[in-house]
Amino acid sequence: MKRQLALICFALGSARRRAGRSFALGFALALVTFALSAVLFLTEALRREFRLAVATLPDLTVQQLAAGRPALIAEQEQAAIAAIPGVIAARPRVWGYYFVSSLSGNFTVVGVDTDDGAVRRDLALVSMNGRLPSSNVSGEVVMGAAAAAFFGLEPGDAITLPVGRAEKRLQLVGVFRSEVGLWTADVLLMSEADAREFLHVPPGYCTDLAVHLSTPDEATVVARKIADRLPGARIVDRQLMARTYDLTFDTRGGLLGAMLLPALVAFLVLVWDRLTGVGTGERREIGVLKAVGWQTGDVLLARSWENAAIAFQGAAVGIVGAYLYVFGARAPGLAEVLMGWSTLYPALRLTPAVEGGQMLVLLCLAVIPFVVAGLVPAWRVATQDPHGLLRGTV
Amino acid sequence: MNVDNVMVRAVRLTKRYAAGRAEKVALREVSLAIPAGQFWVITGPSGSGKTTLLGLLAGMIAPTSGEAHLAGRPITHLRDHHRALVRRRLVGMVFQEFALVSGMSLEENLFLPWVPQGGAGRAERARARALLERFGLAEFAPTPVERLSAGERQRGALIRALVADAPILMLDEPTAALDSENVRTLLALLLALRDEGRTILATTHDRRLAEDPRVDGVLRLVDGVLEP
Repeated sequence: MKRQLALICFALGSARRRAGRSFALGFALALVTFALSAVLFLTEALRREFRLAVATLPDLTVQQLAAGRPALIAEQEQAAIAAIPGVIAARPRVWGYYFVSSLSGNFTVVGVDTDDGAVRRDLALVSMNGRLPSSNVSGEVVMGAAAAAFFGLEPGDAITLPVGRAEKRLQLVGVFRSEVGLWTADVLLMSEADAREFLHVPPGYCTDLAVHLSTPDEATVVARKIADRLPGARIVDRQLMARTYDLTFDTRGGLLGAMLLPALVAFLVLVWDRLTGVGTGERREIGVLKAVGWQTGDVLLARSWENAAIAFQGAAVGIVGAYLYVFGARAPGLAEVLMGWSTLYPALRLTPAVEGGQMLVLLCLAVIPFVVAGLVPAWRVATQDPHGLLRGTV
Repeated sequence: MNVDNVMVRAVRLTKRYAAGRAEKVALREVSLAIPAGQFWVITGPSGSGKTTLLGLLAGMIAPTSGEAHLAGRPITHLRDHHRALVRRRLVGMVFQEFALVSGMSLEENLFLPWVPQGGAGRAERARARALLERFGLAEFAPTPVERLSAGERQRGALIRALVADAPILMLDEPTAALDSENVRTLLALLLALRDEGRTILATTHDRRLAEDPRVDGVLRLVDGVLEP
């Protein structure tokens, strides 16, 4: 232990003495680690958000299609679906998109019956400040954090929004927290009656039917039975959706990771090149160490500590930078690549979610290859005659 | 000469270097024996093989043939790490260009040999303090070596060689960078160290050192061969 501490102190001193070289290598490593970490952090944060979102979805969602596009579905279909064995409940839902042209903002209006115990249970999973809108009081709304920020509202404030040619006054009674931001960012949650008014959904119709099953694993079988009874309906399976999201993020994250691999390889080539060309001063220093009695192993150990210190600092800077870039600056440039199929308005703020394991993998990916790449050239020099190294003849 | 009393011995040491396709003989069948507690000087023109001989005797270079012994032990066929250990225990070495690490303080340079053992112990630190006082460098202990004069660096290198309290002291051209006054000081120090019981072997061009009557013996190398 004492020996390792002494070698570490010496190695840190060496890194300081060769500040230019240490800085250049550390900076290059920080850039590579930054890029890898940013992809990993963003992919994991998005995956987490989508998992949370999928967890609150009904087992099956039934939509009516007309001319290949989603259309309103008659609420009377509810009874036919509820009669299928294995179905606990089939609830009509009223939701849709609401565009405020004067603000260039697109929002998702969701109508809920907060007197329904099941609805309250589902909404209890969603983290929020304030309370739910009353079912029997018109004009109460809960907004996503981003939507509230977009309007500049806080709980208790009111806003008047256009509904067709008229206007409707809404009072903000709650705000969803940012940790559920991906799926609540643009949401305006209100009573079912208010939602029908905003979205022009006539009574007796709904946007879709949320189907809950006693055994979610039987979703495929029940979906087939629903399809038999409602020809032309589209049935969305929650488990299928979860797998699709996972695959999508795995593919996109993997693709980006693969694109970054050449950068990592280029960096390692740079390290190899830089460390292979051990400079005259460094060769002489190794000669001095050998001449005063250091063994080859001692020299290699000191060099490993030196390289590990540089790599660790570089990687730490890269990881912290990536964290700030993803969770602070919202990953401009990268977010569009990973979430390219949909642009969210208002802007999405991701909740920081980084696992210790991820950090360890990133550090190992950065530090171990760097230290190994530096060992061989150091070994080549350290096995030379100290006499020749001091005189510059080898 | 009593064999038991010999501290540094060379038996037909030969060193050949590859020089392109040709081969250069740096040292040819050199044999010598330096008794313990004596101060010997190796002279000769540039390129005569003085430094190579010193490197071979200190175990820093492997010979092409022949054998070197330190304190009665053959060192030539030892593995690299064993030779490093022998060097650390038996030989204090002062190199022509001092072999101090730039960017490190004089004190850090003095304790460099002990880093792989976890740092210098109390005894080494006390010895270093005493030597710094004795050589007039106490105030320069925390100074980076590149800020020291040639004479100060020379003495610093000598202190490092002495801190280990090794019985043999080898010096390669110790007066090369020194003015007359510093040469006189160094010679006095070396003679004092000899009188304390150390075996000293120095290579030099410097007549002031080679012709000093207080030196115990002088060897002359010409073209890698020891003159009789």
